[in-house]
Amino acid sequence: MGVREDQKAATRAKVVTAARDLFNEIGYDETTIRAIADRAGVSVGSVFTTFSSKADVLSQVMADRVGLLQDELTRVLPYLRGSTTDRICSIFAIHYDFECRRVKLFLAHIAASFSPSLEETTIPFGQNATFKNMLLDVLCEGVARGDVRPDADLDTVLEVLMASYSYNYRLAAQEDANAEQMTQRMERQTAIILDGVKPSLKGTASAI
Amino acid sequence: MNHIPMRVIASPAVRPAKPTRRALAKQRTREKVLAAARQLFTERGYEGATIRDIAKAAGMSTGAVFASFADKSELFDEILAKDYALLGEAMQDAAKSGATVCEALSNLFGVAYRFHMKQLPLLQAGIASSWTRSDAGEQRNREALKPVMSLISDTLIAGVERGELSPKADLRLVSGIIWDVYLAGYRHAVFDSWSADDLTSRLSDQINLILAGVRS
Repeated sequence: MGVREDQKAATRAKVVTAARDLFNEIGYDETTIRAIADRAGVSVGSVFTTFSSKADVLSQVMADRVGLLQDELTRVLPYLRGSTTDRICSIFAIHYDFECRRVKLFLAHIAASFSPSLEETTIPFGQNATFKNMLLDVLCEGVARGDVRPDADLDTVLEVLMASYSYNYRLAAQEDANAEQMTQRMERQTAIILDGVKPSLKGTASAI
Repeated sequence: MNHIPMRVIASPAVRPAKPTRRALAKQRTREKVLAAARQLFTERGYEGATIRDIAKAAGMSTGAVFASFADKSELFDEILAKDYALLGEAMQDAAKSGATVCEALSNLFGVAYRFHMKQLPLLQAGIASSWTRSDAGEQRNREALKPVMSLISDTLIAGVERGELSPKADLRLVSGIIWDVYLAGYRHAVFDSWSADDLTSRLSDQINLILAGVRS
């Protein structure tokens, strides 16, 4: 029984690695289950004992990656410095840097999350709670630090930041932009967004 | 392409000839294919709808489809372009009806939300395919969106002229952020069953926040 479980785990790992590479090398739509099985050195049948569909494979590839990204962020978090804008930008910079290492894979993940037939297990792109909470924490600290107005609607700030972050990946898709270029754009966007919620000099409430 | 007989072109005093039967037939084919494609893209998304299925639904051969459209993405983009043309007109009127730049923007995006809510799966397919579009597809999409994008930037410029927004504001960037937030809103329609009014109200708050960063 232990051997069977080990075999299954080994197959799963091989398939996930093969799929991750193929999705990034030739694209998600172009990759077939057969191609994944061949690359992984397993049979098509054994792929289907662990995964229900190609979309399921993609969602598990991405789920495995989330942990890696989380580790990088956790390592860096204590070292964030500067204004709230700086810290927010650093968090996004780390994301861009990480995902751009396998950008085609990430674009496939984004596209899949808009698909009408979404796998239940998929964390749809943009719904990563840990990511959002990390940003929210920095924004809250920003209020404490006096960078951000106390009456600012932080949920709205977060939404606007996340939308800008997400759609900057289009630059990678359309213009082959790299992580640094996307980060630079995000910095300019973050500056405008957070300017909208910085305390006014006179300390009175603004137009909102 | 409509082939107008040469003898008609030779006599300019004559009013333009009716399109030939062939041209009309081709036009009808085109429209049948577009209608069938619209239906299938709506039901199955971009990837799920094949040229074979579209041809079958339109009652013709795949060859006939390819005579009018180079590939599936061209077909899809034409459907989206037609919608944007319609939408652009409706948005023009809405943009004029706001007392402030925020109101004007909310109104014009409100029109967009209401328009697309009636065919949400097609919009979803459009957003999904935008991440893996070819260069040619990207060009077509940019062209189709030009009128809408111009309208947004004109509205922002009017805001500067009215003294609401700072002349130093990077309007292109602001416009980009607003567009991204508008698109991101559709998630709530798809996954949380929000109505067009819900989306518009939320976007209004978001626009207020964004513009607060560039007020004069």
